[in-house]
Amino acid sequence: MTIRKGPSQIIFNIVSYTLLALMSIICVIPFVMILSGSFTDNHTILTEGYSLLPRDFSVEAYKTVFKAPEDILQAYKMTFFYTGLGTFLGLIMITLTAYVISRKEFKYRNTVSFIIYFTSIFGGGTIPWYLMYSQVLNAKGTTFAIWFPALMSPFLVILMRTFIMGSVPDAITESAKIDGAGHVTIFLRIVMPVLGPGLATIGLFLALGYWNDWYRSSMFSTDSSTWELQFYLYDLLNASTAIKQMSQNSSISTAELPTQSVKLAMAVVSTGPVLLFYPFVQKYFVSGITVGAVKG
Amino acid sequence: MKNGKKLLALLLAGSMTLSLAACGSSASTESDKASTDTAATETATTDEAAAEDTASTGLDTSERVDLVFYVMGDAPADETVVEDALNEKLLERLNATIDFQFSTWTDFQQKYSLELTSGGADLIYIANWLNFKQLAKDGAFLELNDLLDNYGQGLKELCGDDMLNACSVNGEIYAVPACWPEYVSSGIKYREDLRAAYDLPVPDSLENVEAYLSGIKENLPNQGLLTSTTEESTGLQVAFDAAWLLNLKYASVTTNGLPYGLNALYETPSDVYDYWFSDDFVEDCKLMKKWADMGFWSRSALSDTNDSEAFTNGLCVMEPQGQNPSKYITSVSTFADAGQGWEAAYLAYGEVNGVIYPGHATQNGTAVVRGSKNPERAIAVLEALMTDAELNKLVQCGIEGTHYTINDEGFYESITDESGSAPFGYENFNTWNLRNTEYKLISKNDALLQDIFNRYTTLGEKTKFPNVDIYSGFAEDFSEYDAERTAVSNVMRQYLAPLQAGLVADVDAAVEEFRTKATEAGLEKVREGFKAQWIAYCDEYGYK
Amino acid sequence: MKKEMKKEKKGSFLDVLSDDYKGKKLGIWIGFIISILNIVMFLPFIKWVGIVNADALYSKIRTSSANIEILRSGYNAFDLLHFVQYSGFGAIGLPAMLLLLFAVATLYFQIANVVKVLRNSKGRKGNLALYSAGEGAMGFEVALTLSMIAYVAFSNARFEMKGFSLSPVVIIALIISFVGLVAVKIPQSKERAFYHDNGLLKEIRKNWVLFLMLVPTFFYFLINNYLPMAGIYYAFTNFNFRDGLWASPFVGFANFEYLVKAQLWMLTRNTVLYNIVFIFLGNALQIIFAIFVSQVAVKWYKKTTQTLMFMPYFVSYVILKVIVYNIFEYQYGVINTFVVALGGNRIDFYNTPSYWPFLITFFAIWKGIGYGMVVYLATIMGIDAELYDAAKVDGANVFQQIRFITLPQLKPTFIILLLYALGGIMKGQFELFYQMVGNNGVLYNVTDILDTYVYRVAMTQPTSIGLGTAAGLYQSVFGFILIVGTNWIVKRRNEEYALF
Repeated sequence: MTIRKGPSQIIFNIVSYTLLALMSIICVIPFVMILSGSFTDNHTILTEGYSLLPRDFSVEAYKTVFKAPEDILQAYKMTFFYTGLGTFLGLIMITLTAYVISRKEFKYRNTVSFIIYFTSIFGGGTIPWYLMYSQVLNAKGTTFAIWFPALMSPFLVILMRTFIMGSVPDAITESAKIDGAGHVTIFLRIVMPVLGPGLATIGLFLALGYWNDWYRSSMFSTDSSTWELQFYLYDLLNASTAIKQMSQNSSISTAELPTQSVKLAMAVVSTGPVLLFYPFVQKYFVSGITVGAVKG
Repeated sequence: MKNGKKLLALLLAGSMTLSLAACGSSASTESDKASTDTAATETATTDEAAAEDTASTGLDTSERVDLVFYVMGDAPADETVVEDALNEKLLERLNATIDFQFSTWTDFQQKYSLELTSGGADLIYIANWLNFKQLAKDGAFLELNDLLDNYGQGLKELCGDDMLNACSVNGEIYAVPACWPEYVSSGIKYREDLRAAYDLPVPDSLENVEAYLSGIKENLPNQGLLTSTTEESTGLQVAFDAAWLLNLKYASVTTNGLPYGLNALYETPSDVYDYWFSDDFVEDCKLMKKWADMGFWSRSALSDTNDSEAFTNGLCVMEPQGQNPSKYITSVSTFADAGQGWEAAYLAYGEVNGVIYPGHATQNGTAVVRGSKNPERAIAVLEALMTDAELNKLVQCGIEGTHYTINDEGFYESITDESGSAPFGYENFNTWNLRNTEYKLISKNDALLQDIFNRYTTLGEKTKFPNVDIYSGFAEDFSEYDAERTAVSNVMRQYLAPLQAGLVADVDAAVEEFRTKATEAGLEKVREGFKAQWIAYCDEYGYK
Repeated sequence: MKKEMKKEKKGSFLDVLSDDYKGKKLGIWIGFIISILNIVMFLPFIKWVGIVNADALYSKIRTSSANIEILRSGYNAFDLLHFVQYSGFGAIGLPAMLLLLFAVATLYFQIANVVKVLRNSKGRKGNLALYSAGEGAMGFEVALTLSMIAYVAFSNARFEMKGFSLSPVVIIALIISFVGLVAVKIPQSKERAFYHDNGLLKEIRKNWVLFLMLVPTFFYFLINNYLPMAGIYYAFTNFNFRDGLWASPFVGFANFEYLVKAQLWMLTRNTVLYNIVFIFLGNALQIIFAIFVSQVAVKWYKKTTQTLMFMPYFVSYVILKVIVYNIFEYQYGVINTFVVALGGNRIDFYNTPSYWPFLITFFAIWKGIGYGMVVYLATIMGIDAELYDAAKVDGANVFQQIRFITLPQLKPTFIILLLYALGGIMKGQFELFYQMVGNNGVLYNVTDILDTYVYRVAMTQPTSIGLGTAAGLYQSVFGFILIVGTNWIVKRRNEEYALF
């Protein structure tokens, strides 16, 4: 970086810094609107629309969201549990699989890749999948049914394979093999150390997948103490839509429906922690790793 | 060689899939067969056993049975407290327990049919908005005729034959309805304070609606009038919410008339006529265009996102779609709480066009799931829950003193905790299907509602078919023409919605285009199929 | 030849199979002849399954007398489903369907074997390719005939009577294919030993660690994906609760009818075009911004922009829809308020279809940029820093570094992501389209994709399971053909870049 800044570098920097700033602004504006909306009085949002700064400042929406703090804390706890366990196990399984199918000496690597990839194109739909977990494995109501189905995805396996093939040249593993290293040694000593960015990416994607999921709670939870956070919030939103759908069926006492500002507050509450977590992963995307260091 | 290997790999994977699928499926086929078979034999044996039982001892309660009752919505905070209280009594009486399972409001329709497919529950909530008749036709529920005869005499007495027959398909009873007559008549909810302030007419005809809305627009140019969109109108009758107002003009057999652009008047239900190809239709579309041009709703109305909050927050002054007396009562109390001097008023379409009747029996009901292993006990428990005063109050309102009190005026009042939410509110198990007029605890709002109902009952008695919802008993079987039906529904979205929202430049041309597209989509076939069934239905029940 | 072989039981004779005859091993020729015999047995007029006790059988099924006449004649390897369809007896539908697929695959292998032997396609490793072809052909035929026997037994069990009989053809095919399998296997193992090529078992013994690493993955995909895949069968049935999921009547392609009735061409075109734009434009922008971020030297700027660009990922479409409506509404929308203030005419976004492809594309790319960027950023971070140092020493400027180091290093990742996305080209982003457009039929011509259409259909026919499955199958088959084709082309050019 310190060598010298030629004119091309300067031009490049001007262009890239400007575009980055522009893009960041475009990307962040709706989020700011949501944030300010969550602090605005509900009536004001409806009559005057969204704004970048809260107009009629109010924390009413957050009071509503945190009305039952123990419930929301429980949902947070469960989500951390699912995310932690799922990401950990998933990362191990994905990395192992990706390692195997990236090995040239593994004769069936294409077959295995295909078997994995095939699942991303063909699927039997929700019903047999649901029956598999609820009837065959008898897992309805357990936490297993919530973390297990998202452990792996063909996309992440294939992405990981690309990372491994890109960051570990064949020559290195070949020479290690000649030195008598087994697969376990190669995997742990040679592949893992240079896989930082790859692990961070896949781990991030897995974690985001777990964090954002509500569907599996919706399908398999029978008790609200096992709900994922997103489902806890999402279900509150759905209550209002659903009750509208049954409008013809009258005399249904409706609980208070979440107002627009409450919906926004929920969005903030559910994404906030991820945004705080992101910088920890970020260090893998900020500074590179030199493969050369391992070679020596 | 490469090529061959790839193909081999491909087919290997394919065959593996096949074989895997084969073992998986054969396993599930087996188990499925087993379960359907046992279900079948069980019904058979229970029928026989039942016949013997009633002759001698009645229900066999020697073995404890744990039943699952699938209901809609979310669980109350005090679910287990009330369940325990219930089970204590049920164990004593019927040696059975009950566990309420909740669909939650997320994807509830999908989960409801999954629940029926996998057969995990014994008792299940049913309603016409959950496609009760179609599901019953497809065999999702157990036939109850014999079960009720043997174990549910009390239920039969409570509901009466008419109500039970209304829940039957092809002569088989499939559900036990709630027994609390209520009116769900559609109507217009509007702002009464504004009407009074500017001395505008009550919107009881299309002219008066126009006068009311334009009057407000003159006085308050920035006030939103209608936040109509397509949300309540995704069926096959109308395609835009404001078109519900046409109920002021036509006394149709049901709100918004028959589907597929057909209609029949309440006075002559079996006399089906064509609406979409009539001059009335063109005239109505022109009226809608006139209103759209007068700015009654946004030009972006078809994508409008304003939800039910619009009226409450004063963004619109009238809601002509999906309203009913109960929603009106809710608005009244919301406005009273807000204290801005706003007032709501309600006008049922039936008060204008003279077609008014209480909700159909299939509005709220209970059925036994086909896969249930203990249908006799399920019916017995249902009978206990509905006909026993103590149990009925317990399941509907919780424990007296803990969850609710009866105040001095004799009205129900729920007890809330310090955070302001009730651990077990009114009908908090969402068991609207267990309502029993005799034991139903009345809140203040219910009393207001009852006044309206009483008024409607008097009106309803004057109609040709006094206080009978003749349309909702009809279950359309569209399997013969479902592809065409789908295509027609698509054409409605694409061509009828902009017409009824008045967003087209030339109404006559747009009507022509809509008619052509609908015909191309197979409208004729759909209509013929529907008409034949509808007329047969009218004949069967004597609705001439 | 066959008879001779069967009579001869001495081990020494089996060696004969490895002898050359007209330039090929005898075993290969045997497999070749059996494949031809097998193909003959697949001919439509040769019945594999007969109907016995016909009248008793038909009393058990619900069908019209006209159909019964069609059903009487017995079945070849491919038309068992006819029975299922006309009889309305769905319980044997799924096995029959699997048998059909199996039979088609087997026929393919027989033909492939014959063609390969005739073309004498030898590869790097001698005759091994021919042996694999023979092995596949014989193996599949054996498995097919065995399944057929099991199917007949299963059907009889389901009907609780003897209604189906097995034709001797099946037994003959089983026996000769088994013989063929042996005849191919013996010389194959010799040639394998010669070329140090391993069979599956040997391979497992040698690389057991690798196989062990795959065990959890195998179970995961088996449970989560492959077993539930049986549900594809629902696309061909008309579900009802009485018969249950696996025994509902088989209706053939009736569930696909509504797709054909729809403007299938328009839906396919919209779905594919949107996806192509999303894939290419999206990835291009992700690459560009990943390079920008990677080149930023100021750490806080680098981190902040990266985080901010990730934010749209967290904005749910439900909320976005409300914001978008606030911006584009006709009367009070932000843009129109602005336009009117400038003295212009209001823009009627929600009734003008031509704006929407751009708006939808914008929001799709906007939402995915931060998420997609991470992959490229990670790849850039994985590039050996020595490469850049060397380039700098050689005096390469930043543009040259990007052109000659970064972009080539990103190429494999890009190609893999591209290939992966192609498989899903018929699957649209439902949430995006549904929330942005909703029920606004005016815009459908340019915004309706297969997924939104299917959703609306499902709404009008809530109890139908087959419709959605049928649409999903259409999407899958379309994507599958596309991906297998593309992958084949890519693999011919560079094996490293192929998906499988």
